[in-house]
Amino acid sequence: MKARILVVDDDEALAEMIGIVLRNDGFEPVFCADGGQALEIFRSSKPDLVLLDLMLPGSDGIEVCRQIRGESDVPIVMLTAKSDTSDVVRGLESGADDYVPKPFKPAELVARVRARLRPGDQKAPETLRIADVTIDVAGHLVTRGGERISLTPLEFDLLVALARKPWQVFTRELLLEQVWGYRHAADTRLVNVHVQRLRSKIERDPEAPEVVLTVRGVGYKAGS
Amino acid sequence: MPWLLSRARIWTRRGLILVLRVSRLVSIGVRQIRPGLRYLWRSLLRRWRRSLEFRTVLTTLLLAVTSFAIVGAYLSNQIANNLFQERLVQAESESRYNVKQVQDTFDGAQVTDQSSVITLVYDTLTAVEGRGSVIQRRYVFEAKPEQTKPRNRWVESRASDQLTVRVIPPELRKAVQEGGKQQFWASTQFPVGNEDRPGIAVGNMVTFNGTSYELYLIYDLNTAQQTLNEIQNVLWAGGAALVLMIGAIAWYVTRNVVSPVSHAAVVSEKLAAGQLQERMVVKGEDEVARLGASFNHMAASLQEQITQLATLSQMQQRFVSDVSHELRTPLTTVRMAAEVLFEAREDFDPMNKRSAELLYHQVERFQSLLSDLLEISRFDAGAAVLDAEPQDIFQVISHVMEGASPVAAEYGSDVRLNARQKSIVVEMDSRRIDRILRNLLLNALEHGEGRPILISVAANHDAVAVSVRDHGIGMSQAEAARVFDRFWRADPARARTTGGSGLGLSIAAEDTKLHNGWLQAWGRKGSGSNFRLTLPLRQGGTIVKSPLQLEPADIEFPGTARERQMLVLGTDPGTPPQRSQAAAGLDTPDAVEGEDR
Repeated sequence: MKARILVVDDDEALAEMIGIVLRNDGFEPVFCADGGQALEIFRSSKPDLVLLDLMLPGSDGIEVCRQIRGESDVPIVMLTAKSDTSDVVRGLESGADDYVPKPFKPAELVARVRARLRPGDQKAPETLRIADVTIDVAGHLVTRGGERISLTPLEFDLLVALARKPWQVFTRELLLEQVWGYRHAADTRLVNVHVQRLRSKIERDPEAPEVVLTVRGVGYKAGS
Repeated sequence: MPWLLSRARIWTRRGLILVLRVSRLVSIGVRQIRPGLRYLWRSLLRRWRRSLEFRTVLTTLLLAVTSFAIVGAYLSNQIANNLFQERLVQAESESRYNVKQVQDTFDGAQVTDQSSVITLVYDTLTAVEGRGSVIQRRYVFEAKPEQTKPRNRWVESRASDQLTVRVIPPELRKAVQEGGKQQFWASTQFPVGNEDRPGIAVGNMVTFNGTSYELYLIYDLNTAQQTLNEIQNVLWAGGAALVLMIGAIAWYVTRNVVSPVSHAAVVSEKLAAGQLQERMVVKGEDEVARLGASFNHMAASLQEQITQLATLSQMQQRFVSDVSHELRTPLTTVRMAAEVLFEAREDFDPMNKRSAELLYHQVERFQSLLSDLLEISRFDAGAAVLDAEPQDIFQVISHVMEGASPVAAEYGSDVRLNARQKSIVVEMDSRRIDRILRNLLLNALEHGEGRPILISVAANHDAVAVSVRDHGIGMSQAEAARVFDRFWRADPARARTTGGSGLGLSIAAEDTKLHNGWLQAWGRKGSGSNFRLTLPLRQGGTIVKSPLQLEPADIEFPGTARERQMLVLGTDPGTPPQRSQAAAGLDTPDAVEGEDR
């Protein structure tokens, strides 16, 4: 089955070009040129992934991202000409899983789309624990004290990666490779933002984390 | 004045004893409270240095005390002198009268037997002391020595209570003995009760029954002394009060003058700290008010200019950001289209194929140039911000070495790492440091002539240094000085093998500046070059000395490099370099996207 990808971009030439590239790689693109209609088209087309331009007429990409995230865990990859830290962080905080800065190469775009679409590892029944958080890997379920915590697939993957090796300190690069699935990406802001977001959901006090700990100067590790 | 001198001597002695006692107490005390005293002394010194008010008041007080000491000493000296002179005149005239009385009584005496003679002499002398309970004058009556002793001389010497002839200064006695009928005087001290009192001794010669006697009348100066003491007390008390008042006046006046100045200092510090709306309070029309007004005027024009500059800078930043955004969207489309064509080039005829290749490579180059230009304009607009956090610099270095390994393989250069430490945590923006080091390494590979490249890392107390040394064509000192200039190329005719924009090292220099670090280049024709990056370990720290030398020790040949702990990471000769991989590493020397605004 072809994966369906919703491309939300107001630049028609770019959208068309992205469509060509995606089709070329065996995806089925759906287009939307207006942020105001994005949610509607999202609901009707039920895509497997959303490519979202941050700068959109009507409503801006961040708002669209928040709306989609409000009703779905579908992976969202932002396209951005602005790679300013605050914009990227804002986009990631509104729920995007990843971003591709313009100008990007077709291969780069496809790689990131594939990384987010990759079928989850054949998950054996496995239960992991960090601090007072329980993770049912196969069931994709995270609970604390019997109460269910809702995580996006990416946040879930991040938590699982940390929980599987509680003795290891993960550098941001290593997490990028293991969770996002690419090498040589020096942009560790992605990790920082997602760790913050994960903490805001699973920590009792995100200011004093117990589940995902920061190891100063190195990276992150699971709490005990 | 002999009498005053003797008083001075007493005072000096008392003073000395007091000083000795105090100094002993102080030396005992100092041993125990030395740190406290030192602290007090230091804080006083600091106040002296830092507070004009303190300095002025202290100086005024010291000067006032000195002047009062001088004036007071002069006044009390004058008063003492006057008091003494007055008493002396009185004493001399009284003495003349009394001596005449005694001589008259002796001359008219009609007594011959021993007891009457003694009684007469004693009564006469007692009368000299004066009537009433208060003794007006004391006497010392002594037969003149060395004279033939008549038969009826029954009185040798006689003196008032507690006195002997020893209280009379020898000089006075000598003068009286040799002076005949003349009257002499001298200052002396005599015992009354338990104390020594100052006095004037007036000496005369009287005769009785053919015998010459020295008669000394001693006048008490105690009342004069007491008057003097009282006057002195009043003087010192008045002086002290005046000094305190002068101190208070000095403090008040200084405060009035200094407080606007220190107010101005506070305001200008706030201005310097960026609170541009800060102004001085202006009251009245005096000099201080004028200072305030012109200060405020200056602050206003400063604020205006800074705001103007900030607006300009903002406009420039927005322009750069807009250009960046507007250009990037079509560029992305063009780039993707070019790549699609490039991938499909094998299906084209040779002319179209070559066109597709040219299009692809030139779009890449254009994009690299554009992002470098945008990066530089971000620096120029002051929009670049440091996103520093502590990270191990070896992580960044190995990342850079790994990324450059296809290029290294293509050039056939070994890239070696030389470091004593295993981990150095530096507070830095790792994306920028990554970009700097990648630029340096690619630059070294490009000019390294395929010879080994040595990356050295070292740290000292406050800085870390990374140097990239190649043994290629090298450059002259003049070229090394220009190597960070924008679009500068050592050899314009040289083929652009790496397709760099000519901005790579300029961006590296800007990135370094943002870290408050140093980026320096050394080169020699034929001996290769050495680029050294020095960063403070903590942001806000300063670099005193770079842990590595800029001029390498191994100038002669690569083989002599003294590497202590060598880690060969570079290339695997077994795998032939992939051109496309090399291009991926090279065409985007700043694949790290900076921030657009």
